Amino acid sequence: MFETTRFESEQLLPASAVIAVSLAAFGGLMTMAAPGILGDVDVEALSEQLPAAIVEAFDLRAMGTIEGFIGLELYQFVWLIGLGAYLAYSAAGAISGDIEDGRLDTVLAAPISRRRLLFERFLALLTPILVINAVVFGAVYGASAVVNEPIALADLAAVHVFSIPYFLACGAFGTFVSVAAPRRLMAEGIGAGAIVGGFLLQTLVSGTDVSWLGALAPMRYYDPLTILTTGEYDLAGAGILLAATVGFLLAGAVYFGEVDVQ
Amino acid sequence: MRPLETNGLSKYYGEVRGIEDLTFSVETGEVFGFLGPNGAGKTTTIRTLMGFQSPTAGTATVLGADITDTAALRGARANVGYLPSEPGFNENVTGRRLLEYHGSLRGDVRSDEMLELFDPPLERKVREYSRGNKQMLAIVLAFMHDPDLLVMDEPTSGLDPLKQERLLEFIRAEQQRGKTFFFSSHILSEVRKVCDRVGIIRDGHLIELEDVESLLDRSGKMVRARVNDALDGSAFDLDGVHDIEVSDGGDGSTDGTTISFTYTGAYEPLLRRLLAYDLHDLSIEEAPLEDIFMRFYGENPAAQAERIEDGFDGRDGADATDETDGKDGTEEDSETADV
Repeated sequence: MFETTRFESEQLLPASAVIAVSLAAFGGLMTMAAPGILGDVDVEALSEQLPAAIVEAFDLRAMGTIEGFIGLELYQFVWLIGLGAYLAYSAAGAISGDIEDGRLDTVLAAPISRRRLLFERFLALLTPILVINAVVFGAVYGASAVVNEPIALADLAAVHVFSIPYFLACGAFGTFVSVAAPRRLMAEGIGAGAIVGGFLLQTLVSGTDVSWLGALAPMRYYDPLTILTTGEYDLAGAGILLAATVGFLLAGAVYFGEVDVQ
Repeated sequence: MRPLETNGLSKYYGEVRGIEDLTFSVETGEVFGFLGPNGAGKTTTIRTLMGFQSPTAGTATVLGADITDTAALRGARANVGYLPSEPGFNENVTGRRLLEYHGSLRGDVRSDEMLELFDPPLERKVREYSRGNKQMLAIVLAFMHDPDLLVMDEPTSGLDPLKQERLLEFIRAEQQRGKTFFFSSHILSEVRKVCDRVGIIRDGHLIELEDVESLLDRSGKMVRARVNDALDGSAFDLDGVHDIEVSDGGDGSTDGTTISFTYTGAYEPLLRRLLAYDLHDLSIEEAPLEDIFMRFYGENPAAQAERIEDGFDGRDGADATDETDGKDGTEEDSETADV
């Protein structure tokens, strides 16, 4: 049971560690630098000089507190878009890459179903998700404690806990693309591109007549900045992300079960 | 129940024909050679049988499981060993980790024993493996769960001659234990050594299905004689003489004439005819499987003749004896240049 998940998790571990350490270093430094920067810069004044749309789009007013600052500097972009795109990319290259390199035949020759293989490979994504979450959470909280401006522990924990359904949805989308796209490169491009595109879409349509289109973007359902600055959690959003995860996995499993591997 | 059975099995990739209407079966304990040139449909057949792709038409069973019944075929695969033509592995891990992983998927009852025969460097990462080492690892994976049926796509490819021989020996020994083999190949000497029966596939169609022995019987003998007289091909218009070739050395030298042909008749009339000449040298040997094979391969008579000549060349190269060397050598060169 879960031999494939274990095997693939081992494969993902080195990259997970590198990303975790990099993000932790970045997040930790930003957190430690926050009090100094916030003391020097008048965010309100700055906001008034910039076009209103930019201020709105990037939530610049929230920047005045350490929670808002770290939310914008780390979670709202690098974390939400960067890591989300990485997970979708990584998942998208998984089965498509196995097919392209002829590795899948060796595995499918064993008495394992394709459905199970797909599911187990998806589960392996929990390794980067959990490792990176734990390390970055520790670093940011630790750094905020060091500079004596502790971020509310429950809120910071919520940012990380609620990121799990979000990243799972990104990974499930990537997994679906991995079996549905004809080539690995294309799958990876679609996987990562969809996350970045989703963010752009949400940003562009917000405040317009077609703002409902933003519902397609996964980041509509997970907003780390709001969690950090207001302490509000989007439980329904997390539910939608989990439902999307299941949906993509089921669709991927059905498709993968029917298609010729070649 | 036969371990492997197909009935009208066809696979098209869109409009492109992979295989069409293949009907054959492999008996328990048999070594079945599946022969054909590159692109004939060998790998397509094997991958369809393994369930990696669905047939367009027709049916097939593997150890009794219908290949379109995913769950049944999955169960059957627990008892099937598969050796792909180009084994692909995750190359970031050591051979040992891969062995452990695949062992956990299919069970491992005899990898230790296999590793004594085929010994890839398990502690090294697979990315550092040579083609031969990858092949050996794939062989260990194919046999590690002691399956009843082995499906192998060009099993000796990449192996050095010693290991090739070892694998063929191992296949024979496993056959004694009641294992069934279905393997594709284009190397006839290995087919000759281990196969009981062969199916020959060309352009996606099965064009021959026969015992190796009767295939060889039917194909006759290769006769090559050197006589000190001048003669032409019509001197040997006996029944059963095919593909006659006469060469007189070209420069009227004293070496006489060399005549060679394939012969499917009785010995006596042939010998009588030969003794009418001043016979300098004579060899009668089993026709190389290559020649028979080439006959099935040729798309048209001209291409066929060319290929048979190529076949002769190949055989000459392998069996060359000192007496016939010099002149044939030049002939071979000129033929090669012509082709």
